[in-house]
Amino acid sequence: MRQFAATVVANELIMPATHVVALDVGRIAQSAAPGQFLHIRCSDNEAPLLRRPMSVFRARGKTLELMVRDVGAGSHRLVSKRPGEVLDCIGPLGHAFRIDPKARNLLLIGGGYGVAPLVGLAERAIERGASVTLAVGAATHDLVFPSTLLPEEVEYLVATDDGSAGVQGFVTELVPDRLAWADAVYSCGPIPMMASLARIVGERAPNIPCWVAMEERMGCAMGVCLGCVIETRKGPMRVCTDGPVFRARDVVWRTD
Amino acid sequence: MGSTDAPADVDVQVEFGVNAKLPLRLRNPVMVASGTFGYGIEYARLIDIQRLGAIVSKGITARPRRGNRGPRIVETPAGMLNAIGLQNVGVHKVISDKAPIWAQWDVPVIVNIAGDTVEEFAYMADLLDGVPGVAGLELNISCPNVWAGGRVVGEDAATSAQITSAVRQRTGLPVLVKLSPQVADICEVARAVEDAGADAISLINTFVGMRIDIETARPVLANVTGGLSGPAIRPMAVWIVYLVSQAVRIPIVGLGGIACTGDALEFLMAGATAIQVGTMTFTEPSTSLRIVDELPGAIAARGLRSVCDLTGLALRQPA
Repeated sequence: MRQFAATVVANELIMPATHVVALDVGRIAQSAAPGQFLHIRCSDNEAPLLRRPMSVFRARGKTLELMVRDVGAGSHRLVSKRPGEVLDCIGPLGHAFRIDPKARNLLLIGGGYGVAPLVGLAERAIERGASVTLAVGAATHDLVFPSTLLPEEVEYLVATDDGSAGVQGFVTELVPDRLAWADAVYSCGPIPMMASLARIVGERAPNIPCWVAMEERMGCAMGVCLGCVIETRKGPMRVCTDGPVFRARDVVWRTD
Repeated sequence: MGSTDAPADVDVQVEFGVNAKLPLRLRNPVMVASGTFGYGIEYARLIDIQRLGAIVSKGITARPRRGNRGPRIVETPAGMLNAIGLQNVGVHKVISDKAPIWAQWDVPVIVNIAGDTVEEFAYMADLLDGVPGVAGLELNISCPNVWAGGRVVGEDAATSAQITSAVRQRTGLPVLVKLSPQVADICEVARAVEDAGADAISLINTFVGMRIDIETARPVLANVTGGLSGPAIRPMAVWIVYLVSQAVRIPIVGLGGIACTGDALEFLMAGATAIQVGTMTFTEPSTSLRIVDELPGAIAARGLRSVCDLTGLALRQPA
């Protein structure tokens, strides 16, 4: 983990308001693992003031890719970066998804933008010879993550709220049928989706490890400001330092 | 780069508690603010913390605290709101686990303590006095996120003096008292804590603010309000330093949105003897050390010989 300058090598729109921004980060591209993130300065002044945490998406040689959704002041500046521009980054930060070497069948559940860390995880799992099923939920067909960006070996299931792609309904409805097959479950997405997943796995397959990547507003991302703390069964935990990856059963899921 | 180019004859040392049992001499006037640097260890991965003038620890309380429900922070224009709620491991754990590490360091660590009552402040001062690794105390007498009986602790001069006096009686350590900007008469409070034995006054703690989520029509923070910090508050903090430095004789530590050496100069010229970098560390971890590196040159460029020559310069200029 260090502070470093990364040159933008590519910036591609892959879905509405969603870009893949590729950075030349040298060795860090291979040492950063899915689940981890970079804390990136989005401007060289005080607008916006704080850095933005961006999950590791994919790695290609010395290039680290981030999937950035244009939703606010910081991300808007990031998606506007052109090749050749330099970003001030801190990272890699946080704990990565853990893949048990004995796990052969991995079930990945993504919601909306949460699919980002799961794609890199899918690639690594495939490289290790595991079978991967990725199920994503999205509001509508044009917000479904493009299958062209996934390894061919990944089984890809889609659920949309309006039924315009895949099956109509919640992505968690696809889970129960696959729990008998799965050795491990990984998820990232909206809190209600992950809470629902945690409940399903907890009730039907409590012995399968289920990992979730949490997201919270961050101040320092270094573990000192305590702004990103969530409630867990082990006490208050910092998403930036103790996470972002947690056991689903450890998270105290909020129902409000 | 940096300090190797600095003029060798510029004196940047500052001293607190010249009359205290254990005065504190800092190699430079740049500290890092409570709540922005943890217990000192984390940022050591990115910057050379031993070069800082001092580290002020996260605010600690008599008993451990879990802190507030989230969301706890939100960005604002050139700033942020925080409602952490003083999550900390408690004074006993700090003494057993953190102080022994600090005792190995060059950089002095000032422990920020926050109590709900006078007795709690006294209790912690008692325990921390004489602990190796603890170089001073900063009294957080008005952290906006902690309420006692419906009002912010230490809002008035009398309570502030009571707390300061109770601590003063129990320790020979330098005692810095950190004031809230939102009191009726800050000069009155400052004079009261000076009379009660404070060695320095830290100005200022955060301002109370809030944000509303316009999608849900609800406060963003679970605590509803938070403390506003960052560059947005700097002009208000500089004014308060300028005002209070005319009311007291003890040194002032200035903080509130310092982002660069120019900002530090404003606070010094307004009357501060030392400064703290807080929120800006999150954005640029090297902010404090850049100021350490640039200050000697800034002093020399003005034909001055020491950082003390800067203190209160704006108050001494002819009209």
